[in-house]
Amino acid sequence: MKKAKLPGGMLVLMTVIVFILLFTYLSLNLKTVDFGYELQELIELRDQLQEEIDKLKSDKARLLNLERVEKVVTEKLGYQYPEPEQFIKVFDTEDQGQK
Amino acid sequence: MKINSGERKRTFLIFILFCLWLLFVGWSLVRIQVFEYGKNVSKVRSQSNRTFTPHSKRGTIYDSCGEVLAISVKAKSAFLSNKDKADSLRIYNRILRQKIYLTRNDKQNIKKRIKQGDKFIWIRRKLSDTEYQRLKKIKFSDRMESTLDFIEEYKRIYPQNATACHILGGVGIDEQGLWGLEYSLNDTIRGKDCKVKVVQDARRKAFKLQYLEKPRDGKDIYLTIDSSIQFFVEKELEATVKKHKAKSGTVIVMDTREGEILAMASFPNFNPIDLKYTSPEVIKNKAISFLYHPGSTFKIILASTALEQNLCSPQQTFKCFNGVYKVKDQVLTDEKPYDHLTFEEIIIYSSNIGAARIGERLGRKRYYEGIKRFGFGTRTGLRLPAEVRGIVNPLKKWSGVSLVFLAYGYEIGVTPIQMTRAFNVIANDGYMIDPYIVKAIDGVVLKRSKKQKILSPGTVVRMKAIMEEVVKRGTGKTTRIEGIPIAGKTGTTKKIEKNKKRIHYVSSFGGFFPAQRPRVTMFVVIDEPKDQFYGGDVAAPLFKSIAERLLIYLKIFPELDKTNEIKL
Repeated sequence: MKKAKLPGGMLVLMTVIVFILLFTYLSLNLKTVDFGYELQELIELRDQLQEEIDKLKSDKARLLNLERVEKVVTEKLGYQYPEPEQFIKVFDTEDQGQK
Repeated sequence: MKINSGERKRTFLIFILFCLWLLFVGWSLVRIQVFEYGKNVSKVRSQSNRTFTPHSKRGTIYDSCGEVLAISVKAKSAFLSNKDKADSLRIYNRILRQKIYLTRNDKQNIKKRIKQGDKFIWIRRKLSDTEYQRLKKIKFSDRMESTLDFIEEYKRIYPQNATACHILGGVGIDEQGLWGLEYSLNDTIRGKDCKVKVVQDARRKAFKLQYLEKPRDGKDIYLTIDSSIQFFVEKELEATVKKHKAKSGTVIVMDTREGEILAMASFPNFNPIDLKYTSPEVIKNKAISFLYHPGSTFKIILASTALEQNLCSPQQTFKCFNGVYKVKDQVLTDEKPYDHLTFEEIIIYSSNIGAARIGERLGRKRYYEGIKRFGFGTRTGLRLPAEVRGIVNPLKKWSGVSLVFLAYGYEIGVTPIQMTRAFNVIANDGYMIDPYIVKAIDGVVLKRSKKQKILSPGTVVRMKAIMEEVVKRGTGKTTRIEGIPIAGKTGTTKKIEKNKKRIHYVSSFGGFFPAQRPRVTMFVVIDEPKDQFYGGDVAAPLFKSIAERLLIYLKIFPELDKTNEIKL
């Protein structure tokens, strides 16, 4: 019986396919690693930004600390608390001062 | 082309060498991949895989306006790895020259541990930014990267300093809650540490992250406290305590309808970051754990119960025995002698004998039930640690004089928060609501306990009118604010102590405003004022000064003289 021989073209095609698959696999793998790096960088950036946000929040709260604000307003700017008789009631006739 | 024998030999030699090289490469591959496979794999993994446990971030605590009360930020902690004692000592001496805060104890301890040869020695944990910059310079200028190093940790910051310190409490060095809400809500705020596996390349750059244990950041807490109100309440309280040289004081401000605690202040106070250096007496939140005899403020409970039982009417007259009344072996006295007083006058002028007479009319059982209905002897359910229940003796333990003593607020132990809740019943049209301080956790609004009706509308109307009269012409006159009707009651209690060399007092005032449509219920207690001691002289003026500021802040406008009005 004669052995069935693979045609040369078929062999070349299979080799090409194997190579394409191999390269696809490798490039995907490389891409995954690249994404890994990118992801890691983004995570670090997110953490840094979160840290920055927390620091800004705490700084803002510290600056708005009422004790500090009062000190600045009364000592630096020379403001004083109003006396009760200095209050003037202002209201809109429509809502009869309910606001 | 002919190849001569010399060339053939050389070609053969090259071929042999090539074969040997191939064999060597092949053998090396087999050795690495087969014989030393396990060893090499573990070596690679140890170089490229890194497992670490980052700490979860503690949740932030906000007030009702979204202002930060407590927040965690990253900070560096410095340590010596002490590979070489001489190097470590040199570094340590350089650190000492920098302005790094170290106690004498810390210094001795570090030096001792360096000499002992301990491998890991904390220099200081949670450095400030400037301290870190100074230490970083030492690390790199001395080329001692491996001797002095840093770890990143979270550091708790309280930007408002001492504001609301008794509510917030504080944390320990490892961010564990030690007191206040930081302690009672520790499991919620703290979160859960996670385990992370990182795969890194030869340059130690990570490219793969795998969570071995799921992380959970701490949840944010939203309080009902308004830091602006809290601030001026604390300020006014401090001024009063200092003015009267009192031992301590506490103020609770509550939203009448909702039961939200708007402010809860105690003095002396402390900065939460100095918690471990503060005495337990200062740390104690007096609003929930100061147990005292309520004195005349308790007459409100007596009067409400009597009116609710329809046993008395406001105009009913009681004999007051001209200031001296004997019950069994006890003699009751009044500050001012009265022959007869009406029911409402007994409350307005705070007659102890009159209260005792109302108590006698009410009877033990009914009065006891009334006290229990107002919630005395039970915790209010605030999520704060160390709240005390108070002391209400069961009926069977009552002596022959218990009823009359209880009528004017002795033989019972209450806390300021319980008194606030009780006063709020009258302010809130007879409904009792439990006060609360935690509004939401991570944006989820918490369920609140149901309100419970314990007084009828008729009783509420009468009680409001009587309490308004207390401020208009009674013992609480010092609270009067023009244009704003205030309802309240004063209290002055003698402290009963074993060492009776000197008598101490507790002055208190509870009330709400505007009297007919109350928005705020407030209770003030000043412990052991020195120069004056009557509730009307010590606690009531403080109530007034806070109320004046609250009126402006909450935009509750007084009915002032029409000349001060501008109509648009």
